[in-house]
Amino acid sequence: MRADYWTRFLIPPGVWLLALFAFPLMLVLALSLGYVDDLGRAVYGTDWSNYAEAFNPTYLPVLIRSVGYAAATVALCLLIGYPIAYYIARFGGRYRYALIAALVVPFFVNYLVRTYAWVALLSDEGLVNNFLVNLGLTDRGIQMINTPWAVIGGLTYGYLIFMILPVYASLERMSPSVIEAGKDLYGRPFRTFLHVTLPQTKQGILAGSVLVFLPAVGDFVSAQLLGGPDTYMVGNLIQDQFFAANNWPFGAALTVVMMLFLSIWMIGYLRSASRDARGAAI
Amino acid sequence: MDGLSLQWYQEFFNDSALRDSLFASLEIATVTMIVGTILGTMLAIGLVRSRAKWSPGANILMLVPLVVPEIVAGISALLIFSQVGLTLSIWTVVLAHITFSISYVTVVVRARLASMGTETEEAAMDLGATRWGSVRLVLLPGLWPAIVAAGLLTFALSFDDFVLSFFTTGEDVQPLPVRIWSAIRFGPSPTINAIGTLMMVVSISAIGLALLIPRLFGRRESGVKVLTAAEGG
Repeated sequence: MRADYWTRFLIPPGVWLLALFAFPLMLVLALSLGYVDDLGRAVYGTDWSNYAEAFNPTYLPVLIRSVGYAAATVALCLLIGYPIAYYIARFGGRYRYALIAALVVPFFVNYLVRTYAWVALLSDEGLVNNFLVNLGLTDRGIQMINTPWAVIGGLTYGYLIFMILPVYASLERMSPSVIEAGKDLYGRPFRTFLHVTLPQTKQGILAGSVLVFLPAVGDFVSAQLLGGPDTYMVGNLIQDQFFAANNWPFGAALTVVMMLFLSIWMIGYLRSASRDARGAAI
Repeated sequence: MDGLSLQWYQEFFNDSALRDSLFASLEIATVTMIVGTILGTMLAIGLVRSRAKWSPGANILMLVPLVVPEIVAGISALLIFSQVGLTLSIWTVVLAHITFSISYVTVVVRARLASMGTETEEAAMDLGATRWGSVRLVLLPGLWPAIVAAGLLTFALSFDDFVLSFFTTGEDVQPLPVRIWSAIRFGPSPTINAIGTLMMVVSISAIGLALLIPRLFGRRESGVKVLTAAEGG
């Protein structure tokens, strides 16, 4: 079959993605050098002051905080998600399929609704505090909402599945006989895990970490609902520029800076994904 | 709140603005599913079969939307719409949703396509089928389970999406998640829980079907594979 016949299939979706994805990204880049005119309209320009402002002491901590929260989220997702994936892959038997489905399905409950449920649990007069007061463990309850841990908890709850699925996939690809061999040679289960299982699932761990980290950095729902001004993330800041402060060029500059923080992860992931695709196509 | 009642559901269905939002969300998800699945399937076929020099470039273009945080996607969509002077409405939401559904469909369909050979199509053409005939009668039926699963996944993702909708919706009719967002910020209300439960029923049905359909076509576990592929696993 002639190759150019198949090339025709690429053109409509390719043009769509260029026009509605690649070109708009360029617009973000261009607008970040713009400014707001006297009438409050965003104007394109060649003005670097938005970037200077993004790195000033008011905003820089927000960027660093976002990366910190996202990193903590990745760590928590790995601590919680890896054992879950491990037990399903190794001991799930014929229920593996049902168990994974049972994890995936709740993930499709709207993220806002799931986060809102945490508000009902954690707020000062929420279910958890009421319970603690009734038990007599505390007089007025513990402040849980508006703390960094509430925000990180919300992010972890929101993105946990992105860690479980790739780790599960890498565990499933692994042959159980390798673990048997490891046991025969080393004996202790923990050493087998450390020297055999963990290295074999490195790809899954890396993929999961990137898939949790990237959306977590840009998230503004968790910080808005479970946090306060002290726990604002860069997503809240960006969203404010577009909907409250009406300073689109500065919002665009913050977006570009955030993307720079993420670019190493994105490029690393893209490289491994396009390598996989070539392997799959052959 | 005392006791159980369906009061808040009744309130939901008596509120015509909320009802409009529900129908808007269903409409957006349906159009996104149809157009996104067609474009994504074309892209998957093109990427696997085309030998064009720029095909690897198209592959990168397809993968980038999967790694870009949604807020970035929302902002770029908002900028292009305001640049070309499109008034924000549910149709700008649809355009933004289609753009991001293409990549998910491509990844899911390509996983299936990569495991299929070209022999049957060649046999069909040896027996007199035209090239398009071999695509329509051999290739597409073989891809069908993946296409259906990808379509349902797209429907669920679009129906649930908040961030993209938030940046691209107009003032008149807002999709349900955007409506929930304003309701939550307004103050807690049991109506939010009722909306949340209704949305859950819609998206869980879609995703449940997406998991089941590949199984009904006789391929065990491929429903889970579909989802792990979609998450880049």
